[in-house]
Amino acid sequence: MMKKTLLRFMAISLMLAAAAGMAFGTGAAEKSKDVTVNMFQLKVEIKDAIDGYAAQYSAAHPGVTVKVETLGGGGDYGGAMKAKAQAGQMPDIFMIEGRGGYDIWKDYIADLSGEPWVADTDLSFKVDGKVMGFPVAIEGYGLAYNADILQKAGIDPAKLTTRTAYENAFKVLESKKAELGIDAPVAMAASVAGGMWWVAGQHNLAAYWGGGLDFNDTSIIEKALKGELDQARFLQYTKYLQLLFKYADKKILLNGSYDDQVGSFAQGKTAFLHQGNWVDPNLKQLGVTFKIGYAPHAFLDVEQKGLYLFAPSWYCVNAKSPNAEAAKAFLASIATTPEGHDYMVNKAGMIPAFKSVTLKPSGQLSQALMAANAKGGNYGVFFGMLPDGAGQNIFGPIFDLFAQNPDNINQFIADMTRAVANLAKK
Amino acid sequence: MKQSRLINVLFVVPCVFAFIMIIIIPFFFGLYYSMTDWNGVNNDVNFIGFKNFKTLLSSPEFLFSFLITVAYTLINIVLVNIVSFGLSLMVTSKLRRRNFYRAGFFVPYLIGGIVLGYIWQFLLNNILVDLGNMLSIEVLKTSFLSLPHTVIWTMAVVNTWQYAGYIMLIYVASIQSIPASLMEAANVDGANYITRVFRILIPMMANAFTISIFLTLTTSFKQFDMNLTLTNGGPATRFLDVPVKASQLLAMNIFSTATANRMAEAQAKAVVLFIALLVVSLIQVSVNKKKEVEM
Repeated sequence: MMKKTLLRFMAISLMLAAAAGMAFGTGAAEKSKDVTVNMFQLKVEIKDAIDGYAAQYSAAHPGVTVKVETLGGGGDYGGAMKAKAQAGQMPDIFMIEGRGGYDIWKDYIADLSGEPWVADTDLSFKVDGKVMGFPVAIEGYGLAYNADILQKAGIDPAKLTTRTAYENAFKVLESKKAELGIDAPVAMAASVAGGMWWVAGQHNLAAYWGGGLDFNDTSIIEKALKGELDQARFLQYTKYLQLLFKYADKKILLNGSYDDQVGSFAQGKTAFLHQGNWVDPNLKQLGVTFKIGYAPHAFLDVEQKGLYLFAPSWYCVNAKSPNAEAAKAFLASIATTPEGHDYMVNKAGMIPAFKSVTLKPSGQLSQALMAANAKGGNYGVFFGMLPDGAGQNIFGPIFDLFAQNPDNINQFIADMTRAVANLAKK
Repeated sequence: MKQSRLINVLFVVPCVFAFIMIIIIPFFFGLYYSMTDWNGVNNDVNFIGFKNFKTLLSSPEFLFSFLITVAYTLINIVLVNIVSFGLSLMVTSKLRRRNFYRAGFFVPYLIGGIVLGYIWQFLLNNILVDLGNMLSIEVLKTSFLSLPHTVIWTMAVVNTWQYAGYIMLIYVASIQSIPASLMEAANVDGANYITRVFRILIPMMANAFTISIFLTLTTSFKQFDMNLTLTNGGPATRFLDVPVKASQLLAMNIFSTATANRMAEAQAKAVVLFIALLVVSLIQVSVNKKKEVEM
């Protein structure tokens, strides 16, 4: 009997404890006059740099603490943000990667048009003339080349400004493969399997959306969003893509991962690499000593000299947060103070999107981009205007099929024409 | 000792509470969201009835994904069960070191699907291809993962390698529970090994087949982790004249729909997966049950 009573007592007290835990566990939020700005970002490569800058900023501004949370490598940022929003823990500063993200989070995004850095950049995220996003960095790409290999093959990279020039260069490289010690002229990846749909279906296709046009000319992609493909222009683009596919290392093209693609170029087994300046740290890690530069993706029948520049992501300020003003001030400090510039260029190794920054990045490709940016005549990158998942789920398989059989130009054009027509229906 | 009802209830409550909160309520929420246009964030959710389901039926990528999931499941049921039954016969015979083999065949099951996918991807894409190039074997020169018509079979083989050891254990347990006198009697009556396996062993183990086929069916239908790391859905192929991903099984298709912020559509796909799995597994279990014999 005693035993039973004890058992019952224990069970009931356990239940009570659990109930109490549920009722009071949430507790009242601690209140203080000090402002804490919470930032949630996904660039894991700049984690240490931004943590350092946030600490430095918090120390210099009594009463303001900036806390940065970084989502680890390749995590699902959109999913994590949704979880935070549902839990009522929206960060004060968060990131979007284009129109798709903006449409989802627009209720939370504050207007930044009055900020001091707005006039200093061309790459802020604008909707209907209002500035809604702070450009995190400039990224960009062309066709990266190994200057040593091109020199040995007798090719002048400065002359690679037309499709015909590329075709001739690829032919020369193909014929001298053994002599130059290369597997193939180009390291290009397009496979769904390797997760490389974005190189082809996003970055390369961006040449069609913006190549040869004014930096802010979005007419071609706006046409596409209405369901129309400019057939004459797209044929020229397809011919260029076909060249890249035909002269690419087949294994990398059809199966390769990012590491396979970048590794092949770094080991001097391919002369060209279709990647952006984000490979600089990889190339450094792989001990690359040869000279590297960028040639334009010249797909038109006429000459093209520009590279593709874009802000891959923007910081947005949570309009519903009571700390919005402190968050704006923190962003402004990155863009306008020498400490902020030092953080962006020297600590985080990024190319800042602000013209007043005079510091120089260390990577060869980043330097090439910065030079191109200063020179002007570059092209905008607009794939961020496409609906979410268009690159991965719709264009990805189409480019993969074309890579499997690059002779079938007509099929590729037909597939793309239909895919673009379907964009308007959604 | 007679148990008090109060205590019974108190011990069951936490479990029932968790079950209701984590399974039952989200399940009905899911059914509701599958009939809305929710994108995962937006607070204004509009009820749109069965529109999502209608879109699915006319979407080639979903239909293809459904069909290859069915194909993959069928291949797996046959392959996994034949291989694991063979293995179980082997390790219950008078083979030397049979306990070592039992452990060995079971080990792949202990490797996580993610890791396993990457290991096999490396083997298939690099080692086999390099071997093919070195020895000039034409079939091996292109990776089996890069051909649309071989990729599903390759996935099934990898899955069998992982899963056969586990199913083998079920068969082994079942074989060991058959009274030795039955087999000996058959032996005395002059039945040879093959006859004994087919006339005595298999009918006596029918309940093990029910559970093993059920397990292979449900796990293959829901396959995700190995799919993601081994093939990532690639390569592309053509279905109903539309480019689709040749090895994107249903679970992965749902995942990529959801990550493209089409939550309601993904939820509708999940409902279809649930219903299909429910119907198919109920049929399978009831058919198999009829074949079981009572001792």
